Amino acid sequence: MSKITIPLGPQHPALKEPENFMLVLEGEQIENATINLGYNHRGMEKAAEERTFIQNMYLLERVCGICSHSHTTCYVTNVEEAAKAEVPERARAIRTLVGELERVHSHLLWIGVAGYEMGFETLFMYTWRDREQVLDCLELLSGNRVHYSINTIGGVRRDITPEQKNEVLKRINFLEERTKYYIKVATEEPTVRARTADVGKLPYDIAIERGAVGPTARASGVKRDVRKDDPYLIYDKLDFSLITHDTCDVFGRLVVRALELMESYKLIKQVLNYLPEGPITVKVPSRIAPAEALNRYEAPRGEDIHYLKTNGTDKPERLKVRAPTLANLQSVTYMLEGGWLADVPLVIAAIDPCMSCTDRAMVYDRKAGKTQVYDWEDLRKLGIEAYKRRGVDFTKL
Amino acid sequence: MSEFAKEEELKKLLEDKFGTGISAINIQRIRRVWLEAAPEKLVEILEFLKAAGFDHISTITGFDEGENLGAFYHATDTHILATIKVKTPLSSPKLPTITGIFPGAISYERELEDLLGIKIEGLPPGRRYPLDDEFPKDQYPLRKTWKTADFQAARKAAASLIKEAR
Repeated sequence: MSKITIPLGPQHPALKEPENFMLVLEGEQIENATINLGYNHRGMEKAAEERTFIQNMYLLERVCGICSHSHTTCYVTNVEEAAKAEVPERARAIRTLVGELERVHSHLLWIGVAGYEMGFETLFMYTWRDREQVLDCLELLSGNRVHYSINTIGGVRRDITPEQKNEVLKRINFLEERTKYYIKVATEEPTVRARTADVGKLPYDIAIERGAVGPTARASGVKRDVRKDDPYLIYDKLDFSLITHDTCDVFGRLVVRALELMESYKLIKQVLNYLPEGPITVKVPSRIAPAEALNRYEAPRGEDIHYLKTNGTDKPERLKVRAPTLANLQSVTYMLEGGWLADVPLVIAAIDPCMSCTDRAMVYDRKAGKTQVYDWEDLRKLGIEAYKRRGVDFTKL
Repeated sequence: MSEFAKEEELKKLLEDKFGTGISAINIQRIRRVWLEAAPEKLVEILEFLKAAGFDHISTITGFDEGENLGAFYHATDTHILATIKVKTPLSSPKLPTITGIFPGAISYERELEDLLGIKIEGLPPGRRYPLDDEFPKDQYPLRKTWKTADFQAARKAAASLIKEAR
């Protein structure tokens, strides 16, 4: 039989965000896979150089819709290190708390997506229903569901009251019970096992060679977690385990994330009971003397690294962001090769890809040189006209 | 023993092995070591570091310092981040590929080519990343001379020309 090359994406029902895989098939089996990225590149590193440190907080929060707190925390740690600011312990604890709540929300989301991709939609409905509990916690603490904006340079923007603490604890206890059930489902349910075991294999050596990070690496037995290896915030004071698994497949990635949820609950309770008294911010000057800082953060998807160079002004000289998905994508092509076409969506989903994190740099019109070019004003006008035809007039607002 | 025992050990290891091949070696704080090297030494240093347990490249950060372009290679043994700075002249910017040692670094190297215009020697052929296919091939947005406003103005001018033509 002759070989067929099929494109998967950039638009495909199995992909939640644009990316492209070129798959060379021999029958139903994948012989070769290449990956093409860049569809979400928005120019953030360049844009950051034109904005002040505080404006960049809000820009970087939008690197990713899910790990918004990861990116701002990593960024703000760099800014504070460059400015030699000492952040109050209470602020660091609150940052840790929000970071772990974010991990819970992200992992629950992923378990739902995995359930959906394996054809187990009940699991999807269950986890996404329960995820609302943690989103409620985040909304309670920050006022927002996903872009919490809790960080500010020198500390955090909101304090935690005893009532909020109790409310969060109540929900975390509920989630803990639910997660025990998910762990049972993940490890004992025969359909889950049959669909995920030996799918998307990534042996230990390959995971190291291709630079895999986060749960993807840990499910291949790689003991790496920035929270343990290069502790930031207050993680060196907290007690939690580094979860790994040795099956090196999608099943392992499911187990690792489910068990990490339990560790996160443990951490959230520890932080809530620890919360030292004191101020939540210190003042940091808007201009920062020339310095360099490099920091890492264990985002829900793995190691996130930021580099910052300051030059004495109120804007960064250079800001570099490397989100975890970019590190993991080189492993995906390995996981796909030798596998079956029908497993592709599940394998891709198993690294929990986050494309808007990964591609950050260009925003401009793709159609230049073609017959139609719209700039922002044109698009706005078009939008207003389109709504006017449907009877809604925004110009009057 | 100082509180930077491991960092001192790494510093000594590198100094003994490479001597004058590396410069400006600096322990910035716990778990952060910085050094500078010539581009032709880069692959050798990374090979040495990999053998010493630094088997993960966290990322590569490209930079523009005016006369020189260059990159930081952030290698880690998961605990210590060792950052190697290499410079290359703006007139003919080029660096060797490190994909022979770290295959996972391929996207980071493509970024250097696409955003800063540093030619990576030995990089396997492939589609550009991360800019889109229609982005001008001779413009490098992360260079300091490249201004967003100029680019937007040029796009706007092209757009109005097309409108007039229609």
